[in-house]
Amino acid sequence: MIPTLITERLTLRPLKAADFDVFAEFYASDRSKLIGGPANREMSWRILAVEIGHWSLRGYGRWAVEETQSGRFAGVIGPWNPEGWPEPEIGWDLMAGFEGKGYATEAATAALAYAFDTLNWSTAISLVAEPNHGSRRVAQRLGAVQDGMFTHPRFGTMEVWRHTRPASGPSA
Amino acid sequence: MTVITAPTLETNRLTMRSPKRDDFHAVADFFSSERSRFIGGPLPIGGAWQFLTMMVGHWQMRGFGMWVITENHNDIGLGLVGFYRPVGWPEREIGWHIWSPETEGKGYALEAARAALEHAKSVLKWPTLVSYIVPDNTRSIVLAERLGATLDPNAELPEAGGCVCYRHALNGGDHV
Repeated sequence: MIPTLITERLTLRPLKAADFDVFAEFYASDRSKLIGGPANREMSWRILAVEIGHWSLRGYGRWAVEETQSGRFAGVIGPWNPEGWPEPEIGWDLMAGFEGKGYATEAATAALAYAFDTLNWSTAISLVAEPNHGSRRVAQRLGAVQDGMFTHPRFGTMEVWRHTRPASGPSA
Repeated sequence: MTVITAPTLETNRLTMRSPKRDDFHAVADFFSSERSRFIGGPLPIGGAWQFLTMMVGHWQMRGFGMWVITENHNDIGLGLVGFYRPVGWPEREIGWHIWSPETEGKGYALEAARAALEHAKSVLKWPTLVSYIVPDNTRSIVLAERLGATLDPNAELPEAGGCVCYRHALNGGDHV
């Protein structure tokens, strides 16, 4: 059972088949360049299936982030750990038009709390493609520190940003 | 959200169940070998993981998918048999992959595909299924023919190309 998380402005809920069109639009756009895109509709469908299947295989995965007030699909954020990854990650991808509102930081804060408190992770990383300044700023706002680089055969070289579990008990 | 898992099917020798994480090493071995060449391989470890994860997500998104087959007396995954329809596929497909060469020649793919076809016919009430097969994949073509499928030269094919279409008539239908 995939939980739903509520933050001040956002609802983090399970991804579903009906999200396909907005998902495909994102993967067709240049915004997806930093995460392996652009991808056509056929590839986008498979990527969505991978996001959904990750929950079954790992017991955790990324959520669809909705702007609670409008119900609009704002991004895909949460714990991510495919084979070939250096260690478990908290990842965030925002759809076009939802940048600059602090949504990635707000949703990733909830996802980090979930990883530390519910999944009992002691640390997490976030991988940031070098030219992705917006993503780097999110990592900095979340209190992560840069911890080397990681080169993936398909996604290229990325900065590793490390989040550490708060020392003083549960973070939420 | 309701989590959809595959209904378990039993045949004389085989159990057909949901794909799961324990299957990963066998999938990765398969995709590291030339045996995977007819379905987009060989793939690195990350690609094999995406493939298995996608198969699990396919059940969630479509309500049907491919089963992992095992022998009845253990839970060791030997291959995938079942239904597949990602975006870009004109029709629902029935497909089969046996992961290890040691498992070939036992008739397992045939036995599992018969059970899947029966499920499609009597439970899902589908009129027809196709199998998109690369022409060089002669073993797979022999299997499709043993299942009673016939070449359908008029079928629409996946855009990626390179395949021919074999059609399984289930409930008298020859189109979706």
